[in-house]
Amino acid sequence: MAVASAFAVEDMRNRSAAQGKQLFALFDPNALIAAIARSGDRDAFDQLFDYFAPRVKALLMRGGASAELAEEIAQETLLSVWRKAVMFDPAKASASTWIATIARNRRIDIARRETRSRLSQVYEILDEEAPQQPDEAIAGAERDARVRAAMTGLSADQYRVVQLAFVEGFTHQDVAKHLAIPLGTVKSRLRLALSHLRGKLEDLR
Amino acid sequence: MSVVHRASDETLAAFAAGGLDEGLAVVVAAHIELDRESRRRLQEFQAIQGAFLDSIEPVAMTRRPQVPAEQRPLADNLLVTSRPAESGMPDALRPYTLGPWRRIGLRIAMRRVEVPGAEARVFMLRAGPGIALPPHKHTGFEWTTILAGAYEHQYGRYAAGDFDEADAEHDHTPSVDPVEGCTCLVAMTGKVLLQGWLGRVLQPLVRF
Repeated sequence: MAVASAFAVEDMRNRSAAQGKQLFALFDPNALIAAIARSGDRDAFDQLFDYFAPRVKALLMRGGASAELAEEIAQETLLSVWRKAVMFDPAKASASTWIATIARNRRIDIARRETRSRLSQVYEILDEEAPQQPDEAIAGAERDARVRAAMTGLSADQYRVVQLAFVEGFTHQDVAKHLAIPLGTVKSRLRLALSHLRGKLEDLR
Repeated sequence: MSVVHRASDETLAAFAAGGLDEGLAVVVAAHIELDRESRRRLQEFQAIQGAFLDSIEPVAMTRRPQVPAEQRPLADNLLVTSRPAESGMPDALRPYTLGPWRRIGLRIAMRRVEVPGAEARVFMLRAGPGIALPPHKHTGFEWTTILAGAYEHQYGRYAAGDFDEADAEHDHTPSVDPVEGCTCLVAMTGKVLLQGWLGRVLQPLVRF
């Protein structure tokens, strides 16, 4: 009996060690960014690159960029992640949100480089200065997780208008034209989608 | 600061996505600096972008760049290399060259903000207490962030931090707060038709 339970304990130890290993092996972007910030970990960079660069590229191509341009912006985005890793604050936003905003800024830099645009600096200034209220410290990561979860509750039609308005930056008029649907339909879909998302965030405010 | 008039969801979504004309974007940024609620909405909209990034079907990259050997991730080269903000000026203006304040009438002055590549013309306007700004109509947008003081027109009272998002539909005659005066940051697109004596003075100066 004593022997059996010793085995059982041993078995449980093994299992939890295996689970621990598995958890450790799961993709954890926050830990990878922290490793880059701490010690310039190139292996961590490669892992982040392999996950995020193809997604940034896909997002930009969805927005109408050529494969070549999307690839260039995705590369620049991940190199910015390397350089800025120390600035990442997992309490303020999830890694995906942070990287999406960097991708937006690099896209602006590259699309508007002919005109000496400083717009990405404006976004960076806003980001640096975001006041950290004590009650907002945890809310950033929580907010991002909830938004991600809430997005799966949108209908396909709502998802599409949200993408055009929030990721591509289309005006409502342009969304209507692009999808060949009435302006009123665009507005009502967006209103419903936003109220769905905001409903999920209500108690965080 | 109790902000009453905020940027619409449409405007803030376009700002979050990086789709706004740079001149208009600067005025929206100044508003976000002054209003916690708008900043919070911006962060939510950016979270939506993050969610899209997570859920999208990846497209393979053709190569992975080498991080330059000497390049260490450091913070010290990241600070925005623009001059510090003048007091009372939005930080969003730090990257831009500002012209001198120029008197354009009795107790009214303007200052150009050079935004290269922008379609909108951007300027600051400072008006003494009780002044009536010129009545005007638009063919494009006139977006304003109030930096100090207040003005009032038929759509309400706009005080520090408020955002006035006027388009071609609007035809307004702002009157400046009788005690505090008003300083604001304005971006305009399209043609603006100014009326009255002040309009005639202002017209050539702001290149309408």
